[in-house]
Amino acid sequence: MSPAFALPKMVARGGCGGPLPRWRLHFPTGRALPVGPGVSAAAMAELTDAELRKELIALGYRPGPITATTRKVYVKKLGCLRAEVAAARRRGRGAPSSPARTPARPQQASPSRQRSGFTSPVGAARDSEEEDEEDEEDEEGGQPPASRWGTFVLLLIFLGILTVKMIGSGWLDRREDNFNLLPVDCDKRTDDFCQAKQKDVIMNVLHELYKYLSVQAGNFECGNPENLKSKCIWVSEAKDHVVNITGSSPQKFEAALHWILNSNKDLGIWLKGRDLSEPVTKVEEVFCLESAHPQMGLGCRFRRAVVTAIMNLFLFFWSLITLWGILIFLRYRWRKMEEEEQAMYEMVKKIIAVVQDHYKEWERNLERYPYVGIFHVRDSLIPPQSRKKMKRVWERAVDFLASNESRIQTESHRVAGEDMLVWRWTQPSYVSDSEH
Amino acid sequence: MSSTSQKHRDFVAEPMGEKPVGTLAGIGDVLGKKLEEKGFDKAYVVLGQFLVLRKDEELFREWLKETCGANAKQSRDCAGCLREWCDAFL
Repeated sequence: MSPAFALPKMVARGGCGGPLPRWRLHFPTGRALPVGPGVSAAAMAELTDAELRKELIALGYRPGPITATTRKVYVKKLGCLRAEVAAARRRGRGAPSSPARTPARPQQASPSRQRSGFTSPVGAARDSEEEDEEDEEDEEGGQPPASRWGTFVLLLIFLGILTVKMIGSGWLDRREDNFNLLPVDCDKRTDDFCQAKQKDVIMNVLHELYKYLSVQAGNFECGNPENLKSKCIWVSEAKDHVVNITGSSPQKFEAALHWILNSNKDLGIWLKGRDLSEPVTKVEEVFCLESAHPQMGLGCRFRRAVVTAIMNLFLFFWSLITLWGILIFLRYRWRKMEEEEQAMYEMVKKIIAVVQDHYKEWERNLERYPYVGIFHVRDSLIPPQSRKKMKRVWERAVDFLASNESRIQTESHRVAGEDMLVWRWTQPSYVSDSEH
Repeated sequence: MSSTSQKHRDFVAEPMGEKPVGTLAGIGDVLGKKLEEKGFDKAYVVLGQFLVLRKDEELFREWLKETCGANAKQSRDCAGCLREWCDAFL
């Protein structure tokens, strides 16, 4: 079977047994060797192993060792690859190709291109790429305006709420003031017109007074630049200020104060007498005025709010920690007490055992006396280094024995020339012990 | 599983050791004899050829066709069998 006949068959099959990289079709090898159907199989067969290898590598295929058995196959492969390159170049010459664009994206489109068998011209692919990029740009440009508008609207709403809250209470109060219709003392001139005018004047005075007081209170709260002593402004000062601004007589001011006293509503102005605890009933008693709604700047309010919040949080956590600490302490105490009790009972058991053994030994005539000194028992049970530590336990055990143990009797005897307290086992030995 | 023959499954199940070339999937008596004449008497020699061709199935099939005249199906079976064996044991 000569390779020459085999060659067209392999080309017709398509694929040629190995993937050719895309770029190879646009950058054919710049070798002097002619490429095309004119190359004979004989020429290829004359190549040495090294040259054959180089040719295959130049076409992008990586061959294994070229041995006697593999040579024929590789020669066939070389022919096949060359035919493919030639076919591609011929097809490539039909449509203009721009090498600049395609190397940028060989991997992404390569599967589809291989399938189509280079029928779709490179230009169409390029157009789609351009469209993709433009679409992306348009999308990107379109989004910021929409999101910008949204944030702007939200910001406006937020600012609106903030301003309303800031100005809010004082503004509402003023509106309420204006709509009040309480009777006012007239100047003994006319009725309706006078009343209305008087009311207007007094409203004006009150308005000015309110503003002044709230500003002063606000200043006092926020940094106190004028070094005021308190939020409460002297009556005389307030009167002077209001009279200066409104240009009305001091009597109007006092009428306004009277009006405040008589009204039941909360106008935001507190009248304080000399004695701060007693409520003021007459205009003459009024000593100083204070605003209930100090006017503070946004930063000041914010600062105060933050400080208040932090203080509250702090207090909350502190109280929580304190309670927790108390709980832990109580648990610790309870546990300590339990342990002490246990230690005491242990000691009591040991003492009973010692005293009983001593008695048994006395019965067997190994001991001289039936009783044993309390201190001797203590010194035999507790080692010297822990005597101080176990003192409390020991004493509790001794008390327990004295009150609760009927088999052991506490007596006072003369032992070794010294009077000391002793324990004597009184139970006869044939009665069984509750322990065993 | 149904696409592979029993011969294929038997070959791929264990290391080939000294198995004769006739145990390869796709290689029957006739092809086996031809291969043995050329010197490929054991399966591992054919494996060697497959590896020398860098495990390129297409090339191996081409070579098999050249060497013993295997048809498309036989060469496909043999190449697939060797590839799977390599995946499992190499």
